Amino acid sequence: MTNSGRLRAFIAVGLLPTLFIYAVFVLVPIVWSAYYGFFDWKGIGASKFIGFDNYAEALGDPIFWKAFKNNLIIVAASIFGQLPIALVLSLILRKSTFFQRFVRSAVFMPMVVASVVIGMIWGYIYHPQIGILNFLLEQFGLGSWIRDWLGDPSINMYAVSAPVIWANIGPYLVLFIAAIQNISSEVEDAAKIDGAVKSKWLYMIVVPMIWDTIKVAIVLCISGSLKAFDLIYIMTGGGPAQSTELLATYMYNNTFEVFRYGYGSAVSTLIILISMVLVLGSQLLMRRK
Amino acid sequence: MKKKPVSLTALALAATTLLAACGNDASNNAASSNAASSAPASGSSGASASAPASGEKVKLSIWHNFSGDDLRAQAVRAQIDKFKAAHPEIELDAQAIPPDGYRQRLKTVAAAGEMPDVFFTQSGTSIQEFYDGGLIQPITPLLDKYPEWKNNFMEGALDRLSFDGQAYATPLSGSATSLFFYNKSLFDKYQVKVPTTWDELMTAIKTFNDNKITPISLGNKAAWLAQSSILSSLADRVTGTDWFLKAASQDGASFTDPEFVQALQLFKDLSEAKAFQTGANSLDNTQMEQYFVEGKAAMMIDGSWALTNMAATGTPEQLDQVEVTVLPSLPGGKGDPNSISGGSGGGMALSKTVTGAKLDAALELIYAIGGPEGMQAIVNSNSVVNYKVEPDQAVVTPLFYKAFTLFKSVKLTPVYDAYLTSAAADVINNGLQDLLLTGKPEAVAKKLQDAQAQALGK
Repeated sequence: MTNSGRLRAFIAVGLLPTLFIYAVFVLVPIVWSAYYGFFDWKGIGASKFIGFDNYAEALGDPIFWKAFKNNLIIVAASIFGQLPIALVLSLILRKSTFFQRFVRSAVFMPMVVASVVIGMIWGYIYHPQIGILNFLLEQFGLGSWIRDWLGDPSINMYAVSAPVIWANIGPYLVLFIAAIQNISSEVEDAAKIDGAVKSKWLYMIVVPMIWDTIKVAIVLCISGSLKAFDLIYIMTGGGPAQSTELLATYMYNNTFEVFRYGYGSAVSTLIILISMVLVLGSQLLMRRK
Repeated sequence: MKKKPVSLTALALAATTLLAACGNDASNNAASSNAASSAPASGSSGASASAPASGEKVKLSIWHNFSGDDLRAQAVRAQIDKFKAAHPEIELDAQAIPPDGYRQRLKTVAAAGEMPDVFFTQSGTSIQEFYDGGLIQPITPLLDKYPEWKNNFMEGALDRLSFDGQAYATPLSGSATSLFFYNKSLFDKYQVKVPTTWDELMTAIKTFNDNKITPISLGNKAAWLAQSSILSSLADRVTGTDWFLKAASQDGASFTDPEFVQALQLFKDLSEAKAFQTGANSLDNTQMEQYFVEGKAAMMIDGSWALTNMAATGTPEQLDQVEVTVLPSLPGGKGDPNSISGGSGGGMALSKTVTGAKLDAALELIYAIGGPEGMQAIVNSNSVVNYKVEPDQAVVTPLFYKAFTLFKSVKLTPVYDAYLTSAAADVINNGLQDLLLTGKPEAVAKKLQDAQAQALGK
């Protein structure tokens, strides 16, 4: 056996345990869940095979599509909020002075705080009576801007997007800093000699050179946003009147509040399908560029 | 499909084997703490069915979830201890299991046919499962033996614990979900009459709004609150209880009936009259109670749980201002205005396998816990019971005393989510949130009707 062949065999053997765990805890449950989606089942007691009824019901439920639309808002907020901010911050913070390291940790901090805590903090920021946001608006003479941020269905989706953006910049920042540090200094020097100003340097050098990283970040953004659940569950629980319902909270409420396990399983299978379509679609779009 | 239940049962069996193994010396087990600790280690209790009358001790086992440090749990445990001390001829194995996993553990032993002789179960669907499974026997003989006890239960108190005219347990606790609290000082200060009719309520709302006081405190983030506390009582005032029971069983009435739409419209009217504070949909129950007890709102419609919560957060001066009554009446409504929505909690049920001398002992134990003496002890722990008893004023808080006195004098009407399917309850909860925003009563009524009909398969 050649050296590289041996290496490959070694890698395969090394991957086996992970693959096994992945299959048992990810792939099999997905298949099972899709299967339960064909049943009318309350979690206990007998279940009844009902074919595609659950799937049809979900696709025919306006709340499901509302949840989907809300999810797209989160996706958009993540891609157009998190990524640009993370990119700009990574340019500012790519060196390692004490100050920069401090800001970097500060930006990363929400990642290590439990999302329940973040949800509670932002819940109090938006609080209709004692919330600091309304308080500040009033102090600055912007009393007319005061809103019930989480209770008003015309704005609450945007309100809950803010903490989602804030809490998840960290990993993209790290990703981008690593990518930018990989751009060799010769390129930067050459650009400088050719007279590239900061903005040109960003568009013409940095973005193209870390494009692969950005693509990965976008995929992570999409899949992460479709999974979004915890922050919003804490802040609004999907309410009021299901105005901030996401696919995941919709699934959760149907499964664990209404006890329709079969229906909830069908919805989670649909979430997986939708995620796959979106991720593949975004890959295709970016490949064309 | 049969696959799932089978695998679940297998799991349950496996778990039971483990539990049963622990169970044999469970009376010395740390988990069974408190009440159980003084009992000598005993063998499995279900084994010897009828013990001889003399000589050998009668072995009896009881499971309950009064394991906490709250006053009510202590009161119940004290009753069990008293019974144990008074009956040296009975070998009592009492297990206090924390409430969180209680129901699951009970179900596990039920699946294995190793039920304790006497056990605590919730009312409604919980006890129904045991009844449907043929696992419990009626305690009607006990109630007949002590007619004075039986007759002191409030009307309907045993309903959710009875099947086919036979009582299977007596409630150890009760709940009222729509007590109408108001702040006496605010009503005096602005010279508002405490509302007894809907018009007076609307006048009060207007006066308080004019004076920049929130009329009614509401925190409906969790969504069940408006349903459980406001709608259950308000709709009953309009439709009467009979209509609701029919609509809930989808038998002769529909939620799209005009009287129910009218009830939803009245709730919407409250919202449009700005009766609730801004952001009512994003505040929770605790925040709503705090808001009221701090004197920022003049009224609050909340359940009996608020009595304990307010007592824990409010100062004595703040609590002194709080008065409690029933929701205002509706002229022309079909419901009894002197009523509060509420129900019975769970009680001690009796395993079907218990016979002979053991049966007598078990019935006495049930009487010791849920009988007049037990009811007195529980009510003295600031807990509402569905039983006519006078709390000891030296022991209970003044607010509880007021509320319980009121509770005893009114009729209880059904709480909506206790009778609706969980799918329909979810729909009406969301619908009420929607009514606080822009929702239309007709649309909400339609959705509720569809959900209940679909869930019942009609």
